[in-house]
Amino acid sequence: MTPSDEDLVVAFQSGDIPAFDQLVRRWDRKIQGVIYRLVGNHDEARDLSQEAFLKAYRALGTFKQEARFSSWLYQIAINATRDRLRRRRRRTDLSLDDVEDTSEAALRDAGPSALELIESSDLSRAVAAAMAALPEEQREVVILKEYEGLTFPEIAETLDVPLSTVKTRLYRGLGQLRVRLERQGIRGGAAVPVPSA
Amino acid sequence: MDCEAIREDILDVLYGEGGEAASRRVEAHQASCADCRRELADLRRLRGDLAQWRLPEHLGARPAVPAPPRRLPLGLAAAAGLILGVTAALAFSGAELRYDEAGFSVHVGRETDARALADLERRHRQEMAALRAEVAAVHPPDDRQLLQTVAAMIRESEARQDEARMASLRVLQQRTETQRQYDLARMSAGLSYLDGKAGLQAARTTELVGHLLQASQQK
Repeated sequence: MTPSDEDLVVAFQSGDIPAFDQLVRRWDRKIQGVIYRLVGNHDEARDLSQEAFLKAYRALGTFKQEARFSSWLYQIAINATRDRLRRRRRRTDLSLDDVEDTSEAALRDAGPSALELIESSDLSRAVAAAMAALPEEQREVVILKEYEGLTFPEIAETLDVPLSTVKTRLYRGLGQLRVRLERQGIRGGAAVPVPSA
Repeated sequence: MDCEAIREDILDVLYGEGGEAASRRVEAHQASCADCRRELADLRRLRGDLAQWRLPEHLGARPAVPAPPRRLPLGLAAAAGLILGVTAALAFSGAELRYDEAGFSVHVGRETDARALADLERRHRQEMAALRAEVAAVHPPDDRQLLQTVAAMIRESEARQDEARMASLRVLQQRTETQRQYDLARMSAGLSYLDGKAGLQAARTTELVGHLLQASQQK
């Protein structure tokens, strides 16, 4: 039987250091995925992912399982990413939030590295560019919801914001994405199946 | 219920989180609101588009284990071995490849080496002889003259050191003298002050004794 995250955390806290390796193997790709979608750069994603796991390793000994391990780990990764993006903004003196021009060039400027490693379709490239142009807090919510499949309460826990804030950010983010993609000439391909309630 | 109020329910329905209650509320609202019907449909299509943004395949891959050294195909390896063997055999046998006016030629055997070695030895002997002659032509230095030169240099060096030492001593002496005079001046000033005080005290004592004498005489 596969041990749960919580089992592995308890094992680690009891001195079973290799339990952390299992957690890393389990979450490495997902954490890198979130960070990649936030920063749009593979090397940076790997770097930040390692940084996040290092922080997690240092703090796991005192982690109280009041929150889910996954939420806690996402939180560490997102905080590390925010710091990096903040430093990058200071360096380039360009805020993604300030990007109002939705021309292709402007979208490229908003997330230049996002385009570099995208190797799939034009639609994928357009989605990456539109996502990169979103305000950071909206982008975080959209990514956690759309690509990580977190529930609304889990996102609220991860980002430490009220549930209503999560939904507001998501709604606004989706609205902006729709507008940007439509301006790129993309107007709804295949709709996702209607989820069963 | 207005459109603003149903928004959260629409998101719940969109992601299948709201349960039946949310679904019923949305359905009831959409029955009379074409905008919200269109809104939900648009959001579903948008989610279809967003799903196209896929992660690169190599993302999350651990650093690749260094690949084992590539092996040559058997035939290629055999050919390479054959070439190496032939080359080594030719080199060992003293074969010589030459391209001159007569064209490209291959000389096999060690005769060329012996001739070349003899030429080399003769050239070295000539060079050694020339060097010996050159060395002999140079007059050896006169030891006595050399010693005198060295002794003169040592004397000059010692004289310079003495001069520098004397200069330092003069400076030190000057500083010491200045300090001594300053100290003497201070001591003199101090003694004068003490003398002044003592003189004043003596005058007062004399005056007091005078008064006492006058007083005793009046009695």
